[in-house]
Amino acid sequence: MALTGLQIFKQLPKTNCKDCGHPTCLAFAMALAAGKTSLDKCPHVSEEAKEALGAASAPPIKLVKIGVDQTVVELGDETELFRHDKRFYHPTAVAILVEDTEDIAARLADFNDLEFDRVGLHYVTDMVALQCTSGDAATFKAAAEQVAANTDKSFMLICEDAAVMEAAAEAVAARKPLLYAATNDNYEAMTALAQKVECPLAVKGNGLADLAELVDKITKLGYKELVLDSGNRETSQVLADLTQMRRLAVKKRFRSFGYPTMAFTSKEDAHEEIVQASVYVAKYAGLVVLKAHKKEEILPLLTWRQNLYTDPQKPIQVEAKVNAIGDVTPDSPVYITTNFSLTYYIVEGEVENSKIPAYILPINTDGISVLTSWAAGKLTGEAIAKALEENEMEAKVNHKTLVLPGYVAVLSGSTEEASGWKVLVGPREAAGIPSFAREHFAK
Amino acid sequence: MEKATVLFTPDNLAVDVEPGTSLLQAANLAGIELVSSCGGDGTCGRCLVKVQDGYVKVKDGGNISPRAKKAGLVLACKTFAEGNVVVDIPSRSRLEEHQVLLDEQLLLEKDIDGAEGFSLQPLCQKLAVTLTPPTLEENIADWERLQTAIRSALSCSDVRISMSVLRQLPEALRAGDWQVTVGVTQINGCAEVITIEPGHTTSREVYGVAIDIGTTTVAAQLIDLVNGFTVSKKGSYNKQARFGDDVISRIIHASERPEGLAELHQTIISTINDLLAELLQPGNLAAKDVLMVTVAANTTMTHLFLGLPPKYIRLEPYIPLAAATPPVKAQELGINVNPEAYVVCFPSVASYVGGDIVSGTLVTNVAKDERVTLFIDIGTNGEMVLGNQDWLVSAACSAGPAFEGGGITYGMRAMKGAIDSVDIDPETFEVKVSTIGRCKARGICGSGLIDCLATFRNVGIIDRAGKMQTDIQTPRLRQSDEGWEFILVYGAESESGRDIVITENDIKNLLRAKAAVYAGIRSMLNAVQLEMEMIERVLIAGGFGNYLNIGDAITIGLLPDLPAEKYTFIGNSSLKGARLALISKEAWQEAQELGEKITYLELSAGNDFMEEFMSALFLPHTDMSLFPSITNVK
Amino acid sequence: MAFSAMKERYRNKINEVVLGATKEEGGTRGYTVTVGGESALPFLHFEGEIPNRPIVALEVWDVAPTDWHESFTTYFGDVFDNPAQWAKKCVEEYGADVIAVRLKGADPDVADASPEDCVKVVKDILAAVSCPLIVLGCGKAEKDNQVLPAVAEAAAGENLLIGSAEQENYKSLAAACMVHKHSLIASSPIDINICKQLNILITEMNLPAERIVIDPTTAALGYGLEYGYSIMERARIGALQGDKMLAMPILGNVGHEVWRAKEANISAEDMPGWGEQPSRGFLWEATTATALLQAGMNIVVMRHPAAVALVKQNITELMKPTSFEE
Repeated sequence: MALTGLQIFKQLPKTNCKDCGHPTCLAFAMALAAGKTSLDKCPHVSEEAKEALGAASAPPIKLVKIGVDQTVVELGDETELFRHDKRFYHPTAVAILVEDTEDIAARLADFNDLEFDRVGLHYVTDMVALQCTSGDAATFKAAAEQVAANTDKSFMLICEDAAVMEAAAEAVAARKPLLYAATNDNYEAMTALAQKVECPLAVKGNGLADLAELVDKITKLGYKELVLDSGNRETSQVLADLTQMRRLAVKKRFRSFGYPTMAFTSKEDAHEEIVQASVYVAKYAGLVVLKAHKKEEILPLLTWRQNLYTDPQKPIQVEAKVNAIGDVTPDSPVYITTNFSLTYYIVEGEVENSKIPAYILPINTDGISVLTSWAAGKLTGEAIAKALEENEMEAKVNHKTLVLPGYVAVLSGSTEEASGWKVLVGPREAAGIPSFAREHFAK
Repeated sequence: MEKATVLFTPDNLAVDVEPGTSLLQAANLAGIELVSSCGGDGTCGRCLVKVQDGYVKVKDGGNISPRAKKAGLVLACKTFAEGNVVVDIPSRSRLEEHQVLLDEQLLLEKDIDGAEGFSLQPLCQKLAVTLTPPTLEENIADWERLQTAIRSALSCSDVRISMSVLRQLPEALRAGDWQVTVGVTQINGCAEVITIEPGHTTSREVYGVAIDIGTTTVAAQLIDLVNGFTVSKKGSYNKQARFGDDVISRIIHASERPEGLAELHQTIISTINDLLAELLQPGNLAAKDVLMVTVAANTTMTHLFLGLPPKYIRLEPYIPLAAATPPVKAQELGINVNPEAYVVCFPSVASYVGGDIVSGTLVTNVAKDERVTLFIDIGTNGEMVLGNQDWLVSAACSAGPAFEGGGITYGMRAMKGAIDSVDIDPETFEVKVSTIGRCKARGICGSGLIDCLATFRNVGIIDRAGKMQTDIQTPRLRQSDEGWEFILVYGAESESGRDIVITENDIKNLLRAKAAVYAGIRSMLNAVQLEMEMIERVLIAGGFGNYLNIGDAITIGLLPDLPAEKYTFIGNSSLKGARLALISKEAWQEAQELGEKITYLELSAGNDFMEEFMSALFLPHTDMSLFPSITNVK
Repeated sequence: MAFSAMKERYRNKINEVVLGATKEEGGTRGYTVTVGGESALPFLHFEGEIPNRPIVALEVWDVAPTDWHESFTTYFGDVFDNPAQWAKKCVEEYGADVIAVRLKGADPDVADASPEDCVKVVKDILAAVSCPLIVLGCGKAEKDNQVLPAVAEAAAGENLLIGSAEQENYKSLAAACMVHKHSLIASSPIDINICKQLNILITEMNLPAERIVIDPTTAALGYGLEYGYSIMERARIGALQGDKMLAMPILGNVGHEVWRAKEANISAEDMPGWGEQPSRGFLWEATTATALLQAGMNIVVMRHPAAVALVKQNITELMKPTSFEE
């Protein structure tokens, strides 16, 4: 079980020496408990304490890398069951299945094009999953070489015959592909191979109990670069398996499942595959393999992955650009507020209620409220002046008067000075906007 | 051009000014200080006056509420006398002597002596020293001769002397025939001779002053360092208020105006010097006999008091210039005590947990007790410390000044005329209020506001979200330009003749303030992964502690739902800690350690505090299971 | 180490809310549909009961939509002008579990339909289909406060699911639901606290918790879906851990949100890097719904028949029992 900050603190020297970069030993202990630092940052910790805290400070799920260089895919090292508790760190890798009997060059050209630009972000399809359909070592090896030659991205090799796998794995070992998979029948040979070529190894069980045993056998052989597959393919069972693996690893520190996980779609229809894969992205798969490969199919899946792995600690913000509420005219008033979404939407609601069309200009305050951002020096006359300019407000309205939130009336002077606009001090609470607007802007 | 005469009522003070002088300036000339936290920029909307007669010009653009405008009020800073005028100054617009929390005023307070476990070993004492006169054979220099004697008297190896005393030394030694009385300060393991008198003086009078500098008020005690007794206590408002109500405004003033820092520094020094004069006056004591000053203040006040630039305190990542500051001579600061006296400030923990909190933590023995204690100081910026002898964490939540009356339409500090409790008939909605001093109501103070919120909820004037229930039948509930409001006291019975109301916005402000405090407590518990029930005692310091009803505070969800016996009021713990340090070297040493030991939690990092805050914006709380004792109150 | 499944045992379960009322129950529906009742996180059959599958509602408008993507014409072009026929088609051809009538026409900026007009549309649909109905207002509080109580009264006893009550505007709708025996959607703006507070305020008006469905507001895939997802997930965990004021089934207005997204609508010609529109559009809707089902959504309000088929199939698969051999 994970230790709390206070439990860890008890084991520390309590000298508050600051050598670890934290102001107190307790602050360091809390950072350790949150997984934000490591015990070796404390130069004074006793051997005894190291022993006591060692297990607690090891990550619950091992970080496993597939591939090399810029396109290396990192899996695992997750600490949470629910993203709102802190965040998920390593987005589910998406691998597209290609068979060794196909026209590899053509498939890879398609695959390499599965990248997207959306809202200023670049989405990448991470991996190729090369499956040995031929059953032939030479074909598989040639295909693996072709994959390696045709893409910079990482890939995995799917073949349960260790001898066939060996030829291909050795040929492309420098690219550190994921070898899929060690099973009860082949694990000794597969583990030896993975050790020899130094590539990560997928472990395929026959249900979770079997998987745990198999993982233990492999780790006894001294290999720990593992990715786990429960072996099940029915959506509801895979969801249950992935949930159990994550839970046991994080909450019970169950070492046999302290590795990233993977799942395969089982549907034939590409649309159904996307839906199935969306479930696995939501619930804990470190890697998902699917056959669907069209842009319109992959984009929704990658978007979902991107959404899920954002940092939930960031305050919800609205875009810091001017919004027109109602049928604005050049006479319409201009309200200033911040880009903290809660603040913004309350103001927007009240401006709507006022029934007087207006512009609302949210200032970028990193998503904090009016008073707080004033206090922290983020809502300033200069920031307002800059926003007025960037949003070309002078071209939008025929006046130069803005409404400042009543709570920051003190910014009137600096705002007028910096922007050349006249400040009208608005109400403190958004609820006062309708009567304020009636008084000042009603025709 | 002829001068204009401005007559201020009800003071009946007249002053002649050049036409075109603002009423704010005129009032200043007449010696009347108006509330003007923006410094006359027209933005704070508080220097409201009423022109009764005469010709004035009113400039546009001031921040004046529609309510004030309707009442015929103008902003004194934006109104200019053009001829003879008569101006009425409502009491709410005056910067008045605040009721300052000195510990003798506390009603419910448990007397925390604070000196428990500490022996009387003041930071400064007078020593009578007899030296062996020098001879041709034994020719050690004067200072080394004295140094050796003091070393053995104090068992302290590091003994120093200030230059000015060194100059006096040879004559003083010989005038007293090698007997002298020296004033010695001992701070942080180092002794320094700061005064010298020939002979063994009969009176060994030596005094110290303990000061608590709050953002709004300053309190001080004069202590006889021979016996540790308190000689006198005084309090006043912090004159820096004219540069802004809160620490942020003052940091901005200090950072953005060319002379801002110097102005603020001088103002607090002058506030303190006025207090010192008052402290010394009753016993006709001499400033030169005050040999030691201890100061407990929040981080910003400490910076301003020492003249240190506070700019980065308010900017992310909120870094103070120094947490622990070196001792400084009184003459360097311009404090009217013995010029050689040392002034020491309590160390801060972080930008928003200051020396006042360290002082409070010291005097309440939180760090020496095995019980998990929650210590909260509810002032302008609720600060809290949680922990026991093994660990301590602290946090600050920007609760805002609502509980001191700030930002509330008729809010005021707990002083004469303030409504401190409210009783409302659930059927007729008739109101009975009681005021401090049993006089006509002027406004409502923190405890009154808490009581009011609890009562409004209990009788159904507001729902759990704080929204006024407009369908209830009473003429006291009415709609104004700014929304709904409830009349607590009709004009006929109030001091000013105007209705005293609580508006829906006031309620929102109070909800936010109480939510910030409660969320701060929860966030701190979350950080150390403890449950509310694990708190074994709660110590409450701060301005409204005396009158606060715990039951009300729990009803509105300001304080955790813990048994009443866990709560103790401790009054102005900051001042008490400053006094304790003055009379105990050991306590001062411990304060230094506390500054290092308390772990600061930055609530603005991550969104735990925000989440907790949002869920506390409800009466009592969105998670009702946290308030099991408040069930089914409709 | 030997594997042993870790099963959470929760203190509470989600309320069961019934949609619709049969003749015996005072309504005219051919059958009722029950949502909620689960005592586990979504589809984790191994640790609790999941007695009712999530349901899919198809949106039907009282006026022909002018801003729906042209691909919808293939499915509904013949019935856009006839809400009753539209509803019938949704049930009979596209597998809607219930119909969600959106009274868009009531919006003063759309058709400013009168309460009487709206009542007629709802009555017509009630006559055309036998499934339970959800009735959604136009989203403008002032107008909805006239229209929805009128619908509630006219359809008294039908146990409609009516929405939405909001924090600033819940009293009249809650009262109408209470008097005329309907259930209520309590809608909050991606804020778990407001969600909870609204439930407290509504139940304090004496509308039973078993007649409330919550809509914590969803966003489309790519437009803040993660916020809605986390709010739903938190609400669901909170409910199972004992918070009765969060123990309501959850409704998500998926179609409404998704079809405002550029990604669902834009053609391949205009955005060649994103692939073909038809499947991108309905996959956008299906993926949004699939994600939210994993957070605990019980009622999915959708638009595209192809997306509905995918989501219903996904639900069917996720409802298959699971087990662990230990």
